[in-house]
Amino acid sequence: MLNFLKILATPEFFFSIIRISAPIIFATLAAIVVEKAGFANIGLEGLMMFSALSGSLVSFYAGSWFWGLLGALATGVLLSLVMGFFAFRLKTDIILVGIAMNMMGSGGTLFLCKVITNLTQGKAMASTTGLITKSLCIPNITLPLINKIPFLGAVLSGHNLLTYLAFLFCLLTSIMLYKTPLGLNICAVGENSNAAASVGVSVLKIKYIAIMFSGLMSGFGGAFMSMAYAQGWSQDMVSGRGFIALAAQAMGGGECLGGLLSSLVFGFAQALGIKFSAVGLDSNLASPIPYAVTIVGLVIFAMARRRKARKQHSAAALEKAEQ
Amino acid sequence: MTKKRQLRFTIIRSLVAILIGLLVATVLIFISATGNSLQARLSATQEALKQMLVGPLFRFSKKNGTVFEFKRLADILAAMIPTIFTGLSVCVMFSANQFNLGAEGGIMLGAFVSAMVAIYIPLPAGMHAVVAVLLGGLAVAIVMLLPALLKSRLNVSEMVCSLMLNYIIMYVIKFLMNTYLADKSKGQIQSYTFRESASIPPIVNNAVFSGAKLTWGFVIAIAAVVLCGLFMYRSRWGYAIRMIGINQGFAKYSGMKVGSVIVLSQLLGGFLAGAGGGIEMLSRYNCFSWSALPGYGWTGITIAILAGNNPWMVPLAAFFMAYLSKGCDLMATYAKVPAQLIGIVQGVIFLFFAADQFLFRYRQKLVVKSAQEEIEMAKARKGGEANA
Amino acid sequence: MPDEAFVVQMKGITKVYPNGVAANQGVDFNLRKGEIHALMGENGAGKSTLMKMLFGLEQPTSGEIIVNGEKLELSSPSVAIAHGIGMVHQHFMLVPSLSVAENMVLGMVPRKSGIFIDRAKAIALTREYSEKFNLRVEPEARVMDIPVGMKQKVEILKALVRGAKILIMDEPTAVLTSQETVELFAELKHLKQQGYTIVFISHKLKEIMEITDRLTIMRNGRSMGVYNTKDVTKEDISRLMVGRDVVLSVQKDKAVPGDTVLRVRELEYMNEWHKKMLDKLSFDVRKGEILGIAGVEGNGQKELIDSLFGFNVPNSGTATVNGSSILGLNQQKIRALGVSLVPEDRMLYGIAAGASIEENMISDRCADKRYNHGPLFNMKAIHDETDHLIEEYTVLCKNRGQQVGMLSGGNIQKVVVAREFSNNPSLILADQPTRGIDVGATEFIRKKLVELSRSGIAVLLVSADLNEVMELSDSLIVMHNGRIAAYFDDTAGLTDDIMGEYMLGLRKQSPAEIRRACHD
Repeated sequence: MLNFLKILATPEFFFSIIRISAPIIFATLAAIVVEKAGFANIGLEGLMMFSALSGSLVSFYAGSWFWGLLGALATGVLLSLVMGFFAFRLKTDIILVGIAMNMMGSGGTLFLCKVITNLTQGKAMASTTGLITKSLCIPNITLPLINKIPFLGAVLSGHNLLTYLAFLFCLLTSIMLYKTPLGLNICAVGENSNAAASVGVSVLKIKYIAIMFSGLMSGFGGAFMSMAYAQGWSQDMVSGRGFIALAAQAMGGGECLGGLLSSLVFGFAQALGIKFSAVGLDSNLASPIPYAVTIVGLVIFAMARRRKARKQHSAAALEKAEQ
Repeated sequence: MTKKRQLRFTIIRSLVAILIGLLVATVLIFISATGNSLQARLSATQEALKQMLVGPLFRFSKKNGTVFEFKRLADILAAMIPTIFTGLSVCVMFSANQFNLGAEGGIMLGAFVSAMVAIYIPLPAGMHAVVAVLLGGLAVAIVMLLPALLKSRLNVSEMVCSLMLNYIIMYVIKFLMNTYLADKSKGQIQSYTFRESASIPPIVNNAVFSGAKLTWGFVIAIAAVVLCGLFMYRSRWGYAIRMIGINQGFAKYSGMKVGSVIVLSQLLGGFLAGAGGGIEMLSRYNCFSWSALPGYGWTGITIAILAGNNPWMVPLAAFFMAYLSKGCDLMATYAKVPAQLIGIVQGVIFLFFAADQFLFRYRQKLVVKSAQEEIEMAKARKGGEANA
Repeated sequence: MPDEAFVVQMKGITKVYPNGVAANQGVDFNLRKGEIHALMGENGAGKSTLMKMLFGLEQPTSGEIIVNGEKLELSSPSVAIAHGIGMVHQHFMLVPSLSVAENMVLGMVPRKSGIFIDRAKAIALTREYSEKFNLRVEPEARVMDIPVGMKQKVEILKALVRGAKILIMDEPTAVLTSQETVELFAELKHLKQQGYTIVFISHKLKEIMEITDRLTIMRNGRSMGVYNTKDVTKEDISRLMVGRDVVLSVQKDKAVPGDTVLRVRELEYMNEWHKKMLDKLSFDVRKGEILGIAGVEGNGQKELIDSLFGFNVPNSGTATVNGSSILGLNQQKIRALGVSLVPEDRMLYGIAAGASIEENMISDRCADKRYNHGPLFNMKAIHDETDHLIEEYTVLCKNRGQQVGMLSGGNIQKVVVAREFSNNPSLILADQPTRGIDVGATEFIRKKLVELSRSGIAVLLVSADLNEVMELSDSLIVMHNGRIAAYFDDTAGLTDDIMGEYMLGLRKQSPAEIRRACHD
């Protein structure tokens, strides 16, 4: 046991927590923003799958990870627009739109992968791992100065560009939501769309912006999966991160910092699982931990919310009695 | 709108949605078709489409032309067994407006529990399978208590909770298989073989129909449809589930126990998924070897949407999905178009079925027509009264 | 040009909604610069519709709107705002989790460096307006944490900051305590001095006499005239506002009341904003009588019905049906005690619009032995029951399988009534049973209510329709401010004028007279 703790107390372990959390952070930000705008995008999983595929393919054909990343982002945004069209224009239940996106994201990506590789490479491939070389992946970055700090340097430095971007976007999203007019409009539309509409804010436009943002973040998350986490795309590689993000959003109370911390909890649980298998234990014992943590987190959050509502109620009553 | 008009609208809408799905499929097939000239690609597309649309029931050969083949029909019917159950499961839960997506994990857990009963608990033949399937269903129903109670007591999203449960179920089963239950003498991770007494026997004699295999599981599935249909449309509980789904305030005002019914719908949904898993396991396999979620839960959601949450329509929707899936498989084999095309076609059809405002104008026209007729009728009645 | 005296003129306004309801018929309305103008009328009189058209939320079917001498097409609130018209809605258009200052500037956010919200500027702007108009708010507090009175001030400031010179206030005092009302009036007078024009929608006579210069009274979608407040008496207003255009009479025998069925004692209820909506209410409803509750809407009728049918839990008091307490029970148990409810909002509670007529008819009795064979429904019994009810209540439909949502309002209400009247009740609560439905269905439902009461059922009828409540009731309660203002054991000889004075709080019976509502 002590031995095991020793393994955990290494910089590599903390490094891996951060690395594993990065795509979840992106997806969580996506979930947070749409939730603020008053709806849920449960299609993040599918969006990430499509983005992951297109990222790796574009990267391969353009011969540059940068174009690949752009391709992933464009895919995420375009597909989110399609979701928006069905949800807002054709009044499809947004949950069903999400389910459809996930359905297509699972088998549809494999289909596209096979078809596209067949057209260009002459043989259908079930993954793009064979095409993507290290140089087509998004690079890792060594942080000058910080990497010299003992322990901390090894934890913080040398991450993928997107990992740093994930944390940066946490900050940026928070700023966007709370410091910019757009964020104000998003919150207003989500909480009381009549209030927003009554002062001339276009509710539809804000909803489209929110879902496009979720597409953009899914694009980053997908790109990370196929061009940083792994070398190349393979089927179902997102494996529930889009769903975990929905939970992280709820567990984090819908705020960026809370969402970030919740994502790190999942990262921790997953990193733990990997370590388990490293010391010969069954990783399947650790793998369900993040999902179980989610349910526990949701319950705690719901109970706290209920207690808070009760407290407010009685406080108001007290105040009234005193008057 | 009158029932007849409603029906006509539903049928037209469904056909248009399917048509759009197939149109998308055609475009994708054309893109993926191999051939140097346009001519060659067109004919390849045609061949692929033929395999996809007609292939599931007919075999093509140069000598005999297009021949109906019973084996293919039996395969489709067999493939319908698990998805009928997940489809019913989703129907029941969605009818109560409970977006529980746990049918996916449920069918795996049900299959696993039934398999364990089939291996470790000796029971007489006949009863063995029944007990195994019931226990499989029961296990999932108990697990579904979690999202159901959390929803009704704490208003925790049943959707997120059930999604998480899917993964937990999968990993716990994998862990148990790896660590305790695997037959170590085998190369891959699989359980010991089921006792002979537990298997669900086939209906049709295999040899006669060139290896066609269809077990009594199919009959049980159809029986489940009937029971489920009766439950939803002919019993007070099913009625309460549907009314809660349509207007929860109305249900409460009418004196229904909304919280209990919400829990009931998810328990029943869980039971159906679990039982379906058990039946699939005991009719198709002789040992448990699933190492990932089987996907039947998601197909079940599509089926429920296509069926409009109506259990009576589930077999038709399940048949359609199984047909489509088989068609895509054949297309992959004979026309070299990847079978996963189904993922996209399924998604497109699903979206158009679920789109509320799809063909909205057409529907509006029918509504107006009905309203006019109603007014005419009122006038006629008034006139009649005046004359009398 | 005499017209120049008016900042707003609405001429010959007619509004017919798509469902055929004519909410306004040839209404003339005008505002002088710098006045406080009351718009009065009972619910459904068409005040809100008229003001919605002035604020661009609805468009008139015919008629014209002239603002500052310019004929306008007010196609949306933005257009109205641009022409200096602001509205303070009864249900606040505020975002609870945002601060007061943020709510103030929503849709016109000041920026710094081109991207960020300039909070300092928003707060300064809020302070500036707050001081200028003497409307005290806390710019940095979150809206969810501030009291209702302050929320209203935020709404007023929101309109002012957008350049409103004409303020429409929709029942602004409905949610306020008396101190807050006093404060609001001081603020409104202050605004008036600065040249602002205010439309004040209200039913409360005292307030209107106190604060307004002129008033327009509406009844049944028509204007009953414009008056200078100082030239009319409260009695005049009450007569103009409360009254019947057509007196429909329903034939009924004299009631022979039996034992008490519903006994309500000292019922008190405070709503979520801690405003007392029911104040020590005591009355009885006896077998075989219709007890009517009249009153301007919002005086506790809704809360009374909700309390009696388990939708809210009163703070104190008792209510029993045939001796069993019903407070705090769920609807199933209340129904089991023989209570039926025709709900005020039929689409929200009364029906499941997507279900069939049959499914809507049996919702309260689906567990009854008569309609079940073991685990399954006895479909024949259900079909028979439904067909019987459709016939008895003359529901106009193709067949019992038709979707209820596709029926007309009157037929939908007949479905509700058929169900609620036919489940063998000992007490029927009828809350606005004929609101918004056609004459034929109205007459039918009224006749049915009388018939049922004569067969020995106790009926509690709540209605804002004076005609209905006076014609149908055997005895009558007038509610005002959560209290019983008057009780009449006989409606004979009651005039609209007297009713109006009680409804608007001009008169009140003595406690001894009111106590007669309890038949101990």
